[in-house]
This record gives sequence, C-alpha cells and structure tokens, in this order.
Amino acid sequence: MVYSLAEGIQVRKESWGLLFYQQLQHKVCFVRSGDWLYPRHFDGSWTFDGIIGDIARHTGTPAEIIERSIQKLTKHLTDSRMIVDELR
Amino acid sequence: MNYADWPLSAPVNLTWEITHQCNLSCIHCLSGSSTESADELDMDECRAIVDQLAALKVFEINFGGGEPLLKSYFLPLLRYIHTKGIVTCISTNGTVLNDETVACFTGNPLVNVQVSLDGATPEVNDRIRGQGTFHRIIRGIEPLAGKDISLSINTVVTSLNFTQLGQLKELAGSYGARLRVSRFRPSGRARESWEMLKLNSAQLRELSEWLNDDPNILTGDSFFSISGDGRRQLGLDMCGACKMTCCIDPCGSVYPCAFMQVSEFCGGNLRETSFQDIWDNSAAFRYFRQLEPESCRKCPRFDKCRGGCPAVAYFVSKDLNRADPECLINWSRETSSTPVV
Repeated sequence: MVYSLAEGIQVRKESWGLLFYQQLQHKVCFVRSGDWLYPRHFDGSWTFDGIIGDIARHTGTPAEIIERSIQKLTKHLTDSRMIVDELR
Repeated sequence: MNYADWPLSAPVNLTWEITHQCNLSCIHCLSGSSTESADELDMDECRAIVDQLAALKVFEINFGGGEPLLKSYFLPLLRYIHTKGIVTCISTNGTVLNDETVACFTGNPLVNVQVSLDGATPEVNDRIRGQGTFHRIIRGIEPLAGKDISLSINTVVTSLNFTQLGQLKELAGSYGARLRVSRFRPSGRARESWEMLKLNSAQLRELSEWLNDDPNILTGDSFFSISGDGRRQLGLDMCGACKMTCCIDPCGSVYPCAFMQVSEFCGGNLRETSFQDIWDNSAAFRYFRQLEPESCRKCPRFDKCRGGCPAVAYFVSKDLNRADPECLINWSRETSSTPVV
C-alpha cells in the first residue's frame, strides 16, 4: 500500500505537523503530526511500512507505537479525501 | 489549542492588489482605486515575489485591485504563477474581459473567477458601481458562462442591495455561477459611504439567518473558515489576518489584510525585505496575531470569533481593541436589555 495526495490537494510542513489544502473547497486541514510525517511520505513512493520505518529511524520511537498512530491518521486522511491509498 | 493559534510558516492564501488602476469608481471600493500609482511593481519584481511565495508553499493568491485585468502583464504573470502550481482567484469588475482572458481562464483548474455585481437590477447596481455598469458587467459575464471556469458573482452586501440577494442568487445561477457575498467594510472609498450603505442590526440578523439556511451561498468572510462554524450561530468568523492571510499592495508593501492598508499596520516592503522576514518578524504582524479585544473576552463565543473583524472596529472607532461593531451577539444583548416601551 502506498499513499498519494488526492486530486487537488497540496500539503506543506509546519512546525506542529502537516497543513493540507483542498483546492476545490478552499479549505485547510491541520494534522498535528509533529516531526513524524513529511510531505514526501505522500508522494506515492512510500509504503505504510516504509513510513513507519522512516519515522522510527528519525525519531527513535518504537515501531508499534508509530504504527498505531499512523494507521489512525492515514484512515482519517483517506476518509477526508486528503490522500488516496493504492495497492502495489 | 484552537487552530487559529497554530503558527503558520506562511499564509494559506493572500490578497495581491496588483494595481490601483480601475476603470470604475465604485462608492464602496475598499482600496479607493482609480489611477495607477507611479511606483507599482514591474513584471520582474512580481515574478521574484511569486518565487518567494512558491518556495514558502503559499497555496493561493487572490488578485484584486484596482482592476487586475488592466495591468499589462497580468495574464503572463498569472501563467507564471500557474507553473508553480499556485491556485489563483481573480476578482474582476467584468468590464474589460476579452477573448484572450476568457481563453486563459477556461479549463484551468488553478483559476477561480469572481465578477463583482452589486445589484440584480441596473437601478441598484449602478448606484454603487456607476452609471451603465450593470449591462457592461452582464456582457462580461456572458462569455464566461457555460465554459469550464470556476465562476462566482460577488456582491458586497449593502443597504441598497440587501433585498435583492435572492434575485442575485438566481441571476448567478442562470450563468452557471455561484453567488458569493462579502461584508461591506468602511475602508478606502467606503469610509465616505459607510453610513449610507451599512446594514442595520435587523438586516444583519436577517442576512445571518439567510446564510445559515443556504450553504450554497459562498461568503468572502468564511472563505478560509477553519472550523466551518462561522456560518452557524450568529455569523461572525475569526479574523485570519497575519495568521492565515495578508495583503500585498501594488507597490510591494505587505499589510495584515486588504482592508487594513494603513501605513501604521504595514509589515514592510518586498523591495527591501523578504516576504518570509515580514511574515515572521514584522512588529505589525506580531501585534495582529495577539490581538484580542478586551471587551470580548468574556463572551461565550470568543473562541469562535476572537472579536471579529478588526478592520471594521478600527475604521469605526479608531481602536483595534474594540469589538467588531457588527457583532450580532452584542446586539442581541443590547436588544434583550432594552426595555420594551
């Protein structure tokens, strides 16, 4: 499974996490992910496990803890149509 | 913590008044535009500003003025901005559109066009925008209709057009456009017409109810409503100035918002200072970010609106620490505490 931004969505890194912008509705979505997630994680090349591994590497947080949070977060972002998932 | 307190590294969107030149002389013009200023930015300077905004990942630029389509390099600048993936919204009076403009707008997902119309009839519109403008604006809207263009008709709600909002919605719909309504604010030429054109409390309340009942009406004020709550309850939304938005004037000065283009609130000029520096460090922007009118702090809705629009408060009372004078909650209190005679 890899993640990409949905059509018409842009994202940028902020000190507290990620700011998503939805072009069609001119709306923003605040995601308080701190330094765990970066826009690159949604460029379509990162698998779920790849994201977990990357966060674990640069934060030193145990993978099980990261996995629980990121699972919830990616579901929320998918449900709100900020990102799409794709099986590879 | 409220979303409004989450610091942003750059605006989500900004207003860019690209010229002071305008072929109309609307009595409610927020910037008092008429003729081009001598030291307006040239194309190279604008391109350099776009490069800064793109590097900061500003998502959207809203062009106004003045009439942006009168700027000789406007379409090339727009095309340059689109190469950076930045969404644009062009606010035009609709009277100077031509085939090239329409072609530039058509089928472009990065373009939103907003044509200003201030009445559903010539009698009302022309009192605000000038004699003969209703038909000129409609002739401008017609070539945009039916095309693949995100189109809205924008009406600044005043006492003159208040009763025509339903008609304006239908008129917009007949051109495949949505109606957007904006608050009338006493800046620019509107300072002179404020007393004549402002809504009274009953009209504001009626407007608020009308908006609550019709989610299809767009509002300038909640264009970037971060909670979506602004349209519920009693209408006022939180000010995004210096938090989510700001304004660049035709000469490169950066202000908290299009309505606050007053020298004492200028954050700096892009000919001398980088956008990032102005956004992060200017005293005016820092001041606006912590602005919370004392008189509003005990209000149950304070977290939702933080005192509303400081521009209205400032131009009416010259005091940024006053509550927005069009706050409907204050009016409810006044009304309920007024003895019935």
